[in-house]
Amino acid sequence: MQKFALSLATATMLIGAAATSMAADGRDYISVVGSSTVYPFSTAVAEQFGKATKFKTPKIESTGTGGGIKLFCSGSGVDTPDIANASRQIKKAEIETCAKNGVTEIVEVKVGYDGIVLANSKKSEQFKLSRKDLFMALAKEVPSPEGGDKLVANPYKTWKEVNDKLPAAKIEVLGPPPTSGTRDAFVEMVMDHGCTAFESIKALKSKDEKQFKAVCQTVREDGAFIEAGENDNLIVQKLEANPNSLGIFGFSFLDQNADKIQASSIDGQAPTFETIADGKYPVSRPLFIYVKKAHVGVIPGIAEYLAEFTSERAWSEEGYLAEKGLIPSPKNERKTIAADAKALNVIVNNKF
Amino acid sequence: MAPAMDTILDMRDVIMGKDEAEAAVATKARKVDRDQRTTVGVPFVEEPRMICREVNVFYGDKHAINNVSIDVGKNEVLAMIGPSGCGKSTFLRCLNRMNDTVASCRVTGEILLDALNIYDKKVDVVPLRAQVGMVFQKPNPFPKSIFDNVAYGPKIHGLVNNKTELNDVVEDSLKKAGLWNEVSDRLDQPGTGLSGGQQQRLCIARAIAVRPEVILMDEPCSALDPIATATVEDLITELKEHYTIVIVTHNMQQAARVSQRTAYFHLGDLVEVGPTDRIFTNPRHQLTEDYITGRFG
Amino acid sequence: MSENHQISTMDRVSVGLAARYRKERRFRLFGISAIVASLLFLALLLASITAKGYTAFRQTEVLLDVYLDPAVLDVHNLATANYAALVRDAALALFSQVESRQDKRIIGKLISTGAAYRLQDLVTSKPELIGSTRPIWVPADDEVDMFVKGHIPRDVPEAERRVSDKQASWIDQLVAADRLKLKFNTAFFQAGDSREPELAGIRGAAAGSMFTLAITLLLSFPVGVAAAVYLEEFAPKNRWTDLIEVNINNLAAIPSIVFGLLGLAVFLNFMNLPRSASLVGGLVLTLMTLPTIIIASRASLKSVPPSIREAALGVGASKMQTISHHILPLAMPGMMTGAIIGMARALGETAPLLMIGMVAFIVDVPNSFSDPATVLPVQIFLWADSPERAFVERTSAAIMILLLLLLAMNAAAVFLRNKFERRW
Repeated sequence: MQKFALSLATATMLIGAAATSMAADGRDYISVVGSSTVYPFSTAVAEQFGKATKFKTPKIESTGTGGGIKLFCSGSGVDTPDIANASRQIKKAEIETCAKNGVTEIVEVKVGYDGIVLANSKKSEQFKLSRKDLFMALAKEVPSPEGGDKLVANPYKTWKEVNDKLPAAKIEVLGPPPTSGTRDAFVEMVMDHGCTAFESIKALKSKDEKQFKAVCQTVREDGAFIEAGENDNLIVQKLEANPNSLGIFGFSFLDQNADKIQASSIDGQAPTFETIADGKYPVSRPLFIYVKKAHVGVIPGIAEYLAEFTSERAWSEEGYLAEKGLIPSPKNERKTIAADAKALNVIVNNKF
Repeated sequence: MAPAMDTILDMRDVIMGKDEAEAAVATKARKVDRDQRTTVGVPFVEEPRMICREVNVFYGDKHAINNVSIDVGKNEVLAMIGPSGCGKSTFLRCLNRMNDTVASCRVTGEILLDALNIYDKKVDVVPLRAQVGMVFQKPNPFPKSIFDNVAYGPKIHGLVNNKTELNDVVEDSLKKAGLWNEVSDRLDQPGTGLSGGQQQRLCIARAIAVRPEVILMDEPCSALDPIATATVEDLITELKEHYTIVIVTHNMQQAARVSQRTAYFHLGDLVEVGPTDRIFTNPRHQLTEDYITGRFG
Repeated sequence: MSENHQISTMDRVSVGLAARYRKERRFRLFGISAIVASLLFLALLLASITAKGYTAFRQTEVLLDVYLDPAVLDVHNLATANYAALVRDAALALFSQVESRQDKRIIGKLISTGAAYRLQDLVTSKPELIGSTRPIWVPADDEVDMFVKGHIPRDVPEAERRVSDKQASWIDQLVAADRLKLKFNTAFFQAGDSREPELAGIRGAAAGSMFTLAITLLLSFPVGVAAAVYLEEFAPKNRWTDLIEVNINNLAAIPSIVFGLLGLAVFLNFMNLPRSASLVGGLVLTLMTLPTIIIASRASLKSVPPSIREAALGVGASKMQTISHHILPLAMPGMMTGAIIGMARALGETAPLLMIGMVAFIVDVPNSFSDPATVLPVQIFLWADSPERAFVERTSAAIMILLLLLLAMNAAAVFLRNKFERRW
């Protein structure tokens, strides 16, 4: 019994010693954090990179864009991440935080586009929506249907009430929670645009930006919009179980589940590879990765990882990322971005 | 202290051994009244092993033992009797400081083992308990082998130098406890597998394996059947040759059978002490008489 | 009069008796229905997971006759040779009638990218094979796998499934030629994570779980037992120890994410330990498991009968001897049960690991406590969120493995309790 206790005590001390000695160690793998939308693409590149080169496979954490950039900007030491994935462009405030913590040189690489789709089960009718319809169906307050500029609590119960051409189905939309980048993008690209269809609100934009945002971006809370969690697979499953509802999620999930769900067209454009790539489909956004230049050469393989990400076999129309659902940038743009990435051209702070 | 007259009478009992004559006188004497709570009889002996003076025990606010003074003589069996809750077990447990384990318990007064005050701050309870062994009400062998049960004490106190000596001590203790013949062929079996009487004798063997000077027994037979009880009683009589024994018992016949002196406790008071024969034939205190005649208890 | 009185008493008793028994029957009925309901839900859960997941243990493989072309391979370039080209050539050789470049590209995609690595392993271990033609089973692409397993239906319009009619007919050809079969999915047990479902395995996550739990056990058990022994045996009973006891009970009920935040602040930001390492995961889970172990250990110390304590003290054992020779061995089975249940809870934790970077894509199987690692439940979480349909069955399969591990741990707890529990 005493021996047992003794050996346990020894083991405990050993672990303690190991813990303290390890803290000082360097790192021989790339550390990537950030957006869950970029995660499937960046992991695919990482895996390819790990197998094709002598470097270790990078470690990729799915933290969400904001959380990722916060970690990325927390300092310039090797214990901070080397690369941040983002489903939106870095904000000015974030660059300032970065600079305050000693991260002054950041390389921005636009890796492609992602489309956000609205889809429903194949069992029911396909929708032809406009952004105005979506604003009217989902905003918390809309201009009164009786006319006039007065805003009233959203009275619409069915799609038909919103727009005569739409089916008489009950409004029920499953979407991600506000913490999600997909939700941010949806609100910015659909709701903001949709509400400018009303002259009175459009006028508000130049007068009172804050008020404008509050009106356009506040989603109704009376059960018509259901926050279904960050897991896009879950939303797809729920659509199957409930054919009357629409779901909001990333294009890659539509691509994988085309036998079960159908996308609604928005402003006359159906979301396809082509319409998103050439910008016709209105709800698409660019995806970025941000690289800490100070770490290039310190952590092995960063330049090579960038080269893999920006290689034609990865991010072109024929590349393996397209197979994962990434919408490639146009060819000319790719060329410029790849060259910039190779030269490690940093973001100029006054660009914003 | 006890009244002078009684002391003189009892001293004569002890010293002159004129028991019959004195008993005849005593029967006619008036009993000490029920409300009188000073000790009747002579609590002291000529050759004491343990000396207790004005011992008080408190459990928190409760005064459990009230000013008890008594001696335990060399190689005698002292029986402590009394109704439930009279404090006899509490007092017994003061003798090897087992009460220390009860957080709220406080002991005042003096208890001397030979010349040593066992409640002195400098006294270590570990060697004390090696000198004053204890056997409990319910047989409580360790869940280990019979051998290990007996060998445990000598091992932790370093009483033996090698395996042979240890074997001798175990064999000797088991023989003294009268258990050797029954278990010599299965020393490696668990002690908990023995019958109740055997378990209690195993516990006695465990206590005497550390060669204590005094053995305290807290109702050692209360969980045993009559046959096992008889065996243990015989054992106690034999052990008296080598050890001083203090036994708490509910069973007055048992006290009469095994002890030389008997102390009667009542609600925390030591009411009467005397030679066992005299206590049972001619109690001087009314409470003692009530108890041994079965008026309460 | 007295007779009448007696009869009426008996009558009254028997009237009440019926009600009393009815009450008892009703209670039993409630109990049984509660148990039946929970068993039903359990069965439903297990059945749905098994039904979804069992197919993941088999993987579609294709038999290719690969010509190990000496022009492509020689002993010096084994690490960098173009194995993918060899695989593609071998696949094309199966369909000699196909002409168009487009079709050739699609045929190449029937085979997993993992085929090239399998070929590389073969050639690296047996370089003498170069120049010969070898029949070799290679994994098929995940979409072929899904199609063969029936997860991609044939009866929907072609445009709506990821396997075209042409691909389907080729797959049928391969099946007819006995060149396409479902084989035991070794990659699932031997590989780390991957973005290609057919190459993804749970070994990395399992190793991460193992390292993490090892740290948790080594730290939380001795510390927990020591704390319990001190509190139960040595500490004075006063307001401070009461406060500590209340706090320990509170800690046991705190949501685990809070421990993750604590770990982030203390181990990563203050002590500068590496992110995503199983060491830190173990430390965080230790914090989470400690209260459970302390509570279980104290309960089992309390359950040691006082007679044993008295026996040891009575022979003259010191307090420490009494505890280490008698109390601890008797309390040990209970403590171990508590520890295993705590470990099982730690095995299933995801939330606290999120904060310390263990929710990450990690391909390499971790080899030490400081390597970046993830754990089984996190792997399940990551796969469940992946768009590829083949990850659905792998998610369920990983859940089955996790449940088996949990079952094994709980069985071990029961076994230990029965084996070492002593009677007195």
